[in-house]
Amino acid sequence: MNDHFTVEQLDAGLRAAFEASPNAYILLTPDLHILQANQTYLDLTGARREDILGQPLFAAFDSGPAETAPENVRQVQASLEKARETRQRDHLALVHFATPRTLDDGRQVFKERVWSATHTPILNAQGEVTMLLQHTVDITHLSDTPRADTTVTALDAIVGGSLLLRAQSVQEDNLRLESERNRLVEMFMQAPGFVAILSGPHHRFQMHNPAYGQLIGHRDIAGKPIREALPELAGQGFFEILDTVFETGEPYEGRESLAQLQRSPDARLEPLYLNFIYQPIRDDAGSVVGIFVQGHDVTANVEAAQRQKLMIDELNHRVKNTLATVQSIAIQTARSHVDPHTFAETFQSRILALSHTHNLLTQSHWEGAELRAILQHETEAYGPTRISLNGPPVSLAPAAVLSLGMIFHELATNAAKYGALHTEDGRVLIDWAIADQRAPRLVLSWREIGGPKVTPPDRRGFGSRLIERNIRHDLAGQVDLVYAPDGLIVELTVPLDRTLDQ
Amino acid sequence: MTHPLSGRRVLVVEDESLVAMLLETILEDMGCTPVGPASNIDEGEAMAREAELDAALLDVNVAGRQVFPVAAALKARGVPFVFSTGYGESGLPDEWRGNTTIQKPFTEAAIRNALMQALGVAEV
Repeated sequence: MNDHFTVEQLDAGLRAAFEASPNAYILLTPDLHILQANQTYLDLTGARREDILGQPLFAAFDSGPAETAPENVRQVQASLEKARETRQRDHLALVHFATPRTLDDGRQVFKERVWSATHTPILNAQGEVTMLLQHTVDITHLSDTPRADTTVTALDAIVGGSLLLRAQSVQEDNLRLESERNRLVEMFMQAPGFVAILSGPHHRFQMHNPAYGQLIGHRDIAGKPIREALPELAGQGFFEILDTVFETGEPYEGRESLAQLQRSPDARLEPLYLNFIYQPIRDDAGSVVGIFVQGHDVTANVEAAQRQKLMIDELNHRVKNTLATVQSIAIQTARSHVDPHTFAETFQSRILALSHTHNLLTQSHWEGAELRAILQHETEAYGPTRISLNGPPVSLAPAAVLSLGMIFHELATNAAKYGALHTEDGRVLIDWAIADQRAPRLVLSWREIGGPKVTPPDRRGFGSRLIERNIRHDLAGQVDLVYAPDGLIVELTVPLDRTLDQ
Repeated sequence: MTHPLSGRRVLVVEDESLVAMLLETILEDMGCTPVGPASNIDEGEAMAREAELDAALLDVNVAGRQVFPVAAALKARGVPFVFSTGYGESGLPDEWRGNTTIQKPFTEAAIRNALMQALGVAEV
């Protein structure tokens, strides 16, 4: 093919190809002065050919006035010098460099852009470097990495950082991966649990989702190291765990961990139970570059479990106490009933009486019961003509209901066996009133009439002991049992404020 | 034969009168002299400090309060005691775990063994 062209023709053709290439090229002297730049390069940088030819490269392009400019220049210069010294092509994968743009009013502004550049040394027959060729691609739209000094951030490492390090690869791939990255970031942001990405050994917040923001009262934590962002966590162990995860690369899982957090400015620390994981993030070389934080607030679950334990403990206490009560009734009933038949009958009726008072309390959701209802319950088997109930409405607290239920059961059973209810004509008169309105007391009398002649018992049985004990011990009241010849008289006084309190 | 527990004065703290009656009956059968029973913490504390006592049986949950002030008063005097509870030993705070404990409902043998263990006496 060369045969068809003269050297001059070929030279002209190559010049035209250089000039027309869609790739951006600039040709430099070994001491980095500009020999030539093609049209794509000029278009890309906004420079005019006449302004830059013959200029030192970094006089023509200085990356603007920003603080980061000297570092940007240093990186490009280092890559060019490396290509020159090693006489090998050098890739500068990712570099920030600002270029000027002239506004309509004539002012010049610099815009920071991200580039990927290849520096190729051009050698003569002796192998000496005669020129350096820079080929550059603008990859600003592929990277939203905000800081020029950030090489690989934790976020990049997990959602496509390696892509940016291979920025020369096909742009379609980049665009596809960029959308992938955006989709992943979107997923993090919408996750119901809290998510944060901490970068570097000081655990700077690179990204956190709204759920994380809510956890910490929406403070401005972006870019801050965690010890500065969430100072109240000092001494709670979390910083030390993060340090360990970063140093060892071992993930950490926290279960129902108690964290004291400030959820709004000036608020007191609020205890929260959290399930969470600290997952180390590694770069392509395997070094830990950050920590992925993800978890849930399980405070409501932990508190519900605590309440449930309290309720189970309380239920257990009540069940065991009830069993102990039943046991007591069984043993003491057995002492006064040697015959198994009468034992079974008496024991059963006592258990049923206990059960009935429980029913009364269940109907009121354990708020209490009416005195008259308890009396009716225990005496209704004997018919209304034989029982006279006379007194005002009195509301009783649960403890008094349980005690009086047992007491009236014992009195009614005793009357049926030995007293007024044992004969056909006998009656029981029950009268009550409330004495002393300032410190109310229930004063009640149980009088039996028309029954057989009464003789005082030889020894105190279970029933009378139970009555005395219940009134004095449980209800802080007083009781008198009078075995009058005409019939038993029981007079009892129970303070009501006490029973209402319980 | 004299029972090793006979003549011992045993404080009973128990809010349920039927359960208290059972404990008294069991104690009397063993030859002990029941003291109390106290039906609330204040009464129990006063007896724990002032009454002449060899041992005590303490219900852990007394009318909605925990019995530990009574236990502390007894401990200060060097009077041994047994907890009775429906919760079991797991319901006790760490401070009192390891103390002799019986579970409700209880048998006469359980009460006798617990008292002998607390008093450090052997069966004769």
